[in-house]
Amino acid sequence: MSTEQISTNVISTQSASTKHISVKRYLPDNSTETYWQEYDLPVDDSTSLLDALNHIKEQLDSTLSYRWSCRMAICGSCGVMVNGIPKLGCKTFLRDYEGDIRIEPLAHFPVQRDLVVDMEIFLEHLAAVKPYLIDDNPVKPYDPNAPETYQQTPEQLERYKQFANCINCGLCYSACPQFGLNPEFLGPAALTLAHRYNLDSRDNGKKQRMAELNRHDGVWSCTFVGFCSKVCPKHVDPAAAVNQGKVEAAKHTLIALFKG
Amino acid sequence: MQQRDFDIVIVGGGGAGLRAAIGAAEQAKAQGASQHIALLSKVYPMRSHTVAAEGGAAAVTSAEDSHQAHFDDTVSGGDWLVEQGVADYFVHHAYQELVQMERWGCPWSRKDDGQVQVRRFGGMKTARTWFAADKTGFHMLHTLFQTSLKYPEIERFDEYFVLDLAVHEGAVIGVIALQIATGELTLLRAKAVVLATGGAGRLFRFNTNAGIVTGDGMAMAYRHGVALRDMEFVQYHPTGLPGSGILITEACRGEGGILLNKDGYRYLQDYGLGPETPLGKPENKYMELGPRDKLSQAFWQEQQAGRTGKFGDSDVVYLDLRHLGEKYILERLPFICELAKSYINVDPVKEPVPIRPAVHYTMGGIETNPQCETSIAGLYAAGECASVGLHGANRLGSNSLTELLVFGRLAGEQASQRAAQTEWADERLLEAQGDRQQAKLLRLCDGTSSEENWVELKHAMVQAMESGCGIYRTEEGMRHSLDTMRQLRARFNKVRVNDTSKIFNTELLECLELECGLDIAEASCLGALERRESRGAHQRLDEGMQKRDDVNYLKHSQVFYQGDAHAELRWQDVDVRFSAPAERAYGDAGKGEKA
Amino acid sequence: MNKSTSQRLPPLKRNWWLKHRFFKLYMLREATVLPLVFFILCFLAGMVALLQGAESWQGWIAFMGSPIVLLLNLLALAASLFHAATFFVLFPRVMPLRIAGHSLPDKAIVAGQWAGVVAVALLFFWLLGRGGV
Repeated sequence: MSTEQISTNVISTQSASTKHISVKRYLPDNSTETYWQEYDLPVDDSTSLLDALNHIKEQLDSTLSYRWSCRMAICGSCGVMVNGIPKLGCKTFLRDYEGDIRIEPLAHFPVQRDLVVDMEIFLEHLAAVKPYLIDDNPVKPYDPNAPETYQQTPEQLERYKQFANCINCGLCYSACPQFGLNPEFLGPAALTLAHRYNLDSRDNGKKQRMAELNRHDGVWSCTFVGFCSKVCPKHVDPAAAVNQGKVEAAKHTLIALFKG
Repeated sequence: MQQRDFDIVIVGGGGAGLRAAIGAAEQAKAQGASQHIALLSKVYPMRSHTVAAEGGAAAVTSAEDSHQAHFDDTVSGGDWLVEQGVADYFVHHAYQELVQMERWGCPWSRKDDGQVQVRRFGGMKTARTWFAADKTGFHMLHTLFQTSLKYPEIERFDEYFVLDLAVHEGAVIGVIALQIATGELTLLRAKAVVLATGGAGRLFRFNTNAGIVTGDGMAMAYRHGVALRDMEFVQYHPTGLPGSGILITEACRGEGGILLNKDGYRYLQDYGLGPETPLGKPENKYMELGPRDKLSQAFWQEQQAGRTGKFGDSDVVYLDLRHLGEKYILERLPFICELAKSYINVDPVKEPVPIRPAVHYTMGGIETNPQCETSIAGLYAAGECASVGLHGANRLGSNSLTELLVFGRLAGEQASQRAAQTEWADERLLEAQGDRQQAKLLRLCDGTSSEENWVELKHAMVQAMESGCGIYRTEEGMRHSLDTMRQLRARFNKVRVNDTSKIFNTELLECLELECGLDIAEASCLGALERRESRGAHQRLDEGMQKRDDVNYLKHSQVFYQGDAHAELRWQDVDVRFSAPAERAYGDAGKGEKA
Repeated sequence: MNKSTSQRLPPLKRNWWLKHRFFKLYMLREATVLPLVFFILCFLAGMVALLQGAESWQGWIAFMGSPIVLLLNLLALAASLFHAATFFVLFPRVMPLRIAGHSLPDKAIVAGQWAGVVAVALLFFWLLGRGGV
């Protein structure tokens, strides 16, 4: 059978092997209890966890709910815990797992159903850090007297580019014990986004953002556990951004002190 | 049923929807008014499929380039089925929009002097494509989403699935939406509605599109009598990964990548795109920088001639980047490297990447006038869901990211102007339509066992679309696909959702998406069958139909919904006010084309 | 959307860090502070003893020479070296250094820090050696 079948979520029936996965179920329409459900799946070398979930949905159990969309690790929808580690379903391949594969919803977020978690708090934290260019001299949007672009050298771009690659998948929040202990902590992705704009040569909003960053629930809740950077599927290194943010916050405090 | 009132409702949180929301907010502000804008999306906005666009966004940028040249490329790229007044507006507003994106913080790639860098793209006469590495759509979407957070007047309804438009006496009065998290219906009363719901690539089995690209918005407008226009034109992107169809950007070729058949031969020179350009020196409109329709067709010809290679069970050709060198590849095409390594275990720095064409873009869509308004008063459409008429029979790569900015803004501004002069309709009208949707959902989830399996229907649909409406088409194949769609639509009435729960019922959503897909698939097949010529992405193998026929078919197809009966097709004149149809030529044959 | 009404989960249990090797290693890094606190206390006690006179000083010397105290201070040395190693690796990520627009490679920064440690140690031993003469 064609390997192209994967695009419609059918895994080849002549595949090399069968794998067993356990999925944590939660169906609040029926019960407040969670339970584990077991599925046996045909897999081949290219079967991703997302392919497996789609196979379950279409062939085995249509009631399983999870989020997904792009299947190419750029939309950030399909984060789940795989054996306790936050992963993108579309970038996790079953060939890499021997033995138990246990799938749970992302940790530290309230679960809505099955593998679907409530991301509202994550969005609140993102919005809190004013994640947009703050410009002392904004052009009137759609000014017909063509405003020109800013100049920004490749070096200036390089300073923040890595931190602009966050896909908002939320894996780092599931990896962060400080967020688990205190959900008011702005968390890795939001702080990274703030830092991305603070580092942008076109931006003038650092002072405004510091009010959010330089407080207990801002950068100072981070203890540099560093697991966020380990699980980041886009190598954004949020831990670096947050801790660079601490240096900036400290500088900000000192300067404020001398200015009186 | 909860009811809320808004001046403007925007359906879809991708690039066009976000740009429309910001455009509307700015327009209201400029008028000294305060308008309340709802932005509904079935996913969080940053999950929208704009995120997967890779290559870039086109606009006339350098002093040597001209609006005329961009216009000519677009019109000939679209095989003269382009609305020329629309294309003219587009090329004149493109640059402005990209500058605006820059002022909002989009991390465009730069030249050493700090100016924005441009790259070559297929079918474009010169380098005019702005890019942010090979994640342009991702950066544009996130920039727009983050910028939208500045506007408190934009209220987001994330993960709301819009079930239907509410229309009364030829004007839109609101929308009916399902809150996915709770399964409850919400009525949103509005003075103007913008549809920005994206394309319908998921009608096909093998495609580059995200799972959400199911054509819901197209179906919604279509069911209310708006024409779907030019739906037979579906773009195959020449370079998708075998197996998954994951997109490998055209920018690979813009940067100098070459296409080889299994013998290592640059076969494009045999298909009117030559002569061969020297390695590492790509030339606009030659060879690998021909338009997508021609390149996908060349693949098919090679496949028929047995000159394609194998990857797994897929027939493939090869995209070779190695001569660009590791440093350059990693700087310009980092995402491509990541994708090829993850999904097919090939490192583009070291090996040629096996690729094959995959369905990528829906040129047609909801018919609008040049101001983005549909035949329903107050209903606008922009982006891939719309047919404003920019792409004709074949879209040029990097025109669509700019399109969603230019026409997203325009749609938002038009909606804002309309809202300023309109009153809300009687809310009881909306309630009545809400009740009808509720009844429909109850029927789908009535707990009886399903006589038809939605998974089977879906697979039948995507198989039939691929086999009948692929790169090359025949009368017989298209007729079979059309018949299949009609049967499937009838069978869908017997589908019941197995999962009857309310909270996050994704099976219900898949069924609703499938129902949308079947309706517009019928429109697509009908347009394809009735267009008895070959033009752009619509290529027929039938005798006497292998060439363009401007006498009979220099026309847009319009398909109208007829409920359970067969859809109807009409023809509409094309706006050719600036440029008379001419031979579409690339490579040396295109030399001396007017500049 | 219903902003600021989103749900919160109950905080993690106290043993959260036992779940992963990664978290255990992190806790070990944080725990290095305990033997260091012991060393600092010893050091402060030595200062006080010095002020109080020779007898007190001799008592402190004897205390420091006892096997258990020696062992604890060796542990403190090991802990501080371990902590330094983890800290040095993190440092370039927190303070990326740039020279003429180009960022310095992480390895160079880590090596520089260890070179600093060696230099300070050598200086210290040199001073100690001179004092002994």
